[in-house]
Amino acid sequence: MDIAVLVKQSLDVQELRVDQDTGKIYIEDAPTKAGDIELNATEEAVRLKEKLGGKAIAIMLSTWGSSGKRQKEAREALTRVLAMGLDGAVLIMGEGAEKGDTYVIAKALAGEIRDKFRLVLAAEGSEDNFSGLLPARLAAELGWPYVAYATAIEVEGDYVKVTRSLEDFEEVVKVKLPAVISVTQEINKPRVPKLVEIVKAKKKPMDQKDFSPPVEPKLVIRELKVPKVERKQIVIEGDVEEAAEKLIQALKEEGVL
Amino acid sequence: MKVLAFSHSMDLALELISAGRELGDVSLLMTSDQEGRINEVKGAKEILLCKGMGSGDQEGLVELISGLADDYEIVLLASDRRGRELVGQVAHRLGGSSAVDVSSLSVEDGKLVVERMTFGGKAIAVEELGLPAVISVQKGKFKPPEEGEPSVREISAPSVERRIEIIERKEKPKVGVPLDKAEIVVAVGRGFRKKEDLKLAYELADVLGGVVGATRPLAADLKWMEEEVWIGISGVRIAPKLLIVVGASGQQQFAAGIMDSKVVVAVNTDSKAPIFEQADYGVVMDLYEFLPVLTRKLKEIKGG
Repeated sequence: MDIAVLVKQSLDVQELRVDQDTGKIYIEDAPTKAGDIELNATEEAVRLKEKLGGKAIAIMLSTWGSSGKRQKEAREALTRVLAMGLDGAVLIMGEGAEKGDTYVIAKALAGEIRDKFRLVLAAEGSEDNFSGLLPARLAAELGWPYVAYATAIEVEGDYVKVTRSLEDFEEVVKVKLPAVISVTQEINKPRVPKLVEIVKAKKKPMDQKDFSPPVEPKLVIRELKVPKVERKQIVIEGDVEEAAEKLIQALKEEGVL
Repeated sequence: MKVLAFSHSMDLALELISAGRELGDVSLLMTSDQEGRINEVKGAKEILLCKGMGSGDQEGLVELISGLADDYEIVLLASDRRGRELVGQVAHRLGGSSAVDVSSLSVEDGKLVVERMTFGGKAIAVEELGLPAVISVQKGKFKPPEEGEPSVREISAPSVERRIEIIERKEKPKVGVPLDKAEIVVAVGRGFRKKEDLKLAYELADVLGGVVGATRPLAADLKWMEEEVWIGISGVRIAPKLLIVVGASGQQQFAAGIMDSKVVVAVNTDSKAPIFEQADYGVVMDLYEFLPVLTRKLKEIKGG
């Protein structure tokens, strides 16, 4: 059974610089990488493949522009997941992809998946935007069932047994293949590839394709604002006794004690 | 604008009515298991009661909501996990736009304009959505309406080709005070060396009348605590009066979950930890030394 893993080229939000005073967000300067939860999706795909046979392929549609820097980063992100044991990767890049919303991207990805894969694994949310909309839309586009927030996956013949965690319930559901499943970070602990695996990963097939938007987007980002979080950032000095007293005094003055 | 609202949680459904009333008339969809709370619904124009479907039936709900949505411009769902699972599926079925976890919404020139957090809390995206639009609304942003009796209309359940079968469902044990409703929170991170040491945090929370929450690694990787107490963008977002963050560095995923807190205190040995930029008061000290003293002094005050 062949498995597709959706890997987003995510902005590394930890490294993203924003200027509170000018409101500027330095998106171009921030590096991109494969999102953390996508490493969990990759790990799960590799485990399933090792057990069941077949291939597991990463699919990435790059939405942070197609500059040389972004191309290099996208290939590095894919090399990372290939080194974990995936068999190959498809990288879709091109002008206009950065304007694409999840409606457009789901339409664009469906053609890469329909008739080629029986199972799609994705992260519950991407690291930079965390909407979780894409796997849900992709499932709707393909006409496949969708189950989100998986914490365990088992394939049993034509079905996948998915354990998932909701706010108020633990659920086990049986889903008919083909299906789209999104996972949470609790599902596994992603392996850390050895150097030799990274070297080998560079020789694995990476198929780069040009993006051309199949439809017009339904959503436009009008503006990105920097939220004003004004914290006092007062450092309490002194030894342990003094610091505790000063802190209590400050909290009393704030009216929160 | 005509708005259709639904949530698996009746508490969140009531919040959705308020959010929807800013845009137009709201019809609230209710399922068979929610019928017992029908009298609590105020402010909606009408209730669409589907006695033939339970709220646990995600596959059925996609079909039901997509079918009903033809008569509406906007579908509002809640930003809990089951709500978010529906958003993309319903939006795509309608050929519509979508957004999750929106904190504000308005209509301008025939478009829905929403604001939502992105980049792990470092930015707010202002997005223009074409209609129809399917969105989930951030929890706790809107208060349930208190007035206005809705009419009730019974609707039938659609027939659905089943591909998902629930084979087991266990209700999770309820935590005492939910984190997102707590006034005082003590948040613990990797600075604690072992699980038993968390008692230092529980003792502090006890004397303050607060509850203890955790960073994701503490709950997810180490499994020291239940997942209901994860604070962060993929966990619970909190807004207490007082938050004391102990032994957490302040990673972006966590930082996004504490932004709405009123007063933030950070205790960490590393003076360069990003948490100090997110705090009003910083104590650069070993938590093992500082917490017992702070707890003792607070006890003295509270005790007399």
